[in-house]
Amino acid sequence: MQRDDLELVILSTTVLFVLVIGFIVYFVVLYRNRQLKNRQEQEALQSAFNQELLKTQIEIQEQTLTYISNEIHDNITQVLSFVKLNLGLVNSETETNKKKITESRELVSQSINDLRNLSKSLSFEHITQLGLVKTIEIETDRINNSGLLDASLIIEGEIYTLGEQCELVLFRIFQEALNNTLKYSKAKLFKINLQYNAELFNLTLEDDGIGFLTGPNVKSDGLGLRNMKNRAALIGADAIIDSAPGEGCHIKVTLNPSKLRLYTDGVHQDRFS
Amino acid sequence: MKPIHLIEHSYQIVLLAVAVIGIFLYKKLNEQFKILALSAIGSFLVNVASTLTIKILGTNAPALHVESPMLYIFYALVYYCLFTSKNLKAAIAISIFLVSLLAIINAVTFQPFLTTFPTYIDQLTLAILALLSLLLFRQMLLAPSTTPLLSQSIFWYNTAILFYATTLFFISALSNYSLAYGTYMDLTYLWYVILFIFAILLTLSLLKASKENQRIHAKG
Repeated sequence: MQRDDLELVILSTTVLFVLVIGFIVYFVVLYRNRQLKNRQEQEALQSAFNQELLKTQIEIQEQTLTYISNEIHDNITQVLSFVKLNLGLVNSETETNKKKITESRELVSQSINDLRNLSKSLSFEHITQLGLVKTIEIETDRINNSGLLDASLIIEGEIYTLGEQCELVLFRIFQEALNNTLKYSKAKLFKINLQYNAELFNLTLEDDGIGFLTGPNVKSDGLGLRNMKNRAALIGADAIIDSAPGEGCHIKVTLNPSKLRLYTDGVHQDRFS
Repeated sequence: MKPIHLIEHSYQIVLLAVAVIGIFLYKKLNEQFKILALSAIGSFLVNVASTLTIKILGTNAPALHVESPMLYIFYALVYYCLFTSKNLKAAIAISIFLVSLLAIINAVTFQPFLTTFPTYIDQLTLAILALLSLLLFRQMLLAPSTTPLLSQSIFWYNTAILFYATTLFFISALSNYSLAYGTYMDLTYLWYVILFIFAILLTLSLLKASKENQRIHAKG
């Protein structure tokens, strides 16, 4: 082989090898980018699906609660009012019977009031009409009047609306936490704190009950705790549940008002039902 | 022993090793890679036949007249299994038939079976294989798998074919150029470098394919 030919072979072979290797490297990079993009798309789809699923679950829950609320308001309290009216019409000659009838009328009145309050706390429309702060205030009063707990409400910052759907979700979280405290915690104090900052909203709920184990080593959260986290995720909030045996329970729901999911994406309707 | 003979024997040993690996892994491979394993065995047998024809006839042209279409049919069949497009599958099936027919015509008329190397068929099949490998890369990009690319047998097979087809096409073109202008270029060493790399890449794809199948079976 002549020198010129040898140079030609070496040069052209090198160029070809570089081209083939370059192409393979380019393909590897391109393929990895596509894989990454696909993975992100799948994750986004999964996330959207989970959101829809959660939303549907909550819609069903809200419909059920609204139905129960209406039944209490339109049926049970009406029947009790009728009972109260009938008791008023009963004529009794003995003082003992009169006293018993009056006591019964008072008890029925109290039941009607309690059921009305319960109906209101279950009713989606009532909560959205009054707003989060007012509804929590009413609930706080109700708890204090019942004597079951000593509840206190602190509001910090200038109150602004978070949108009725978001406020409803936050109120349901509050109710879930309150129910847990009443059922399991044996607490005496229940502190509610609402912090309104321009870029952050915090709902903090604290009790001084017996507490429970939390953290990564605990196998599973209860349904109520999971519900709270799921509901928070639905509106793009973070729910941190912190507790330990003997140290009560501390729940903090943090939300960036500018990142409210259900309101800002323009796809979801503004109301559950 | 001359260096070239040493390289030839080494290449035969490598081909034997690939064929043995193909036989050993055969049951663990899926359809397309079973064809590839068969191609490795075929390649080794043709290489042995090539050595014999050199001793008997003084040329290995007859062995190459068999090897060119045979390897094309094997590799094209692998592509037939790998492609998802029905049109491409049909095109590959037609090309297999046409290449076989052209190889016979060429051996009878243009480049006689006993005396001349089948460079026309080589050039044609290498060009088609390069095109098929590019099309398979395109298919892979359109529907990326979740498996890391370097763990995919299909990637190593396709890389092997792209490398083999483009570089051999180039060497073949260079040889033809040198013959046309009356200057002799000895490209045998370069040729063997490419064949060694190709054999390594094919072995890698066979090993990856058997691992993939084991993983699929383990998942149930």
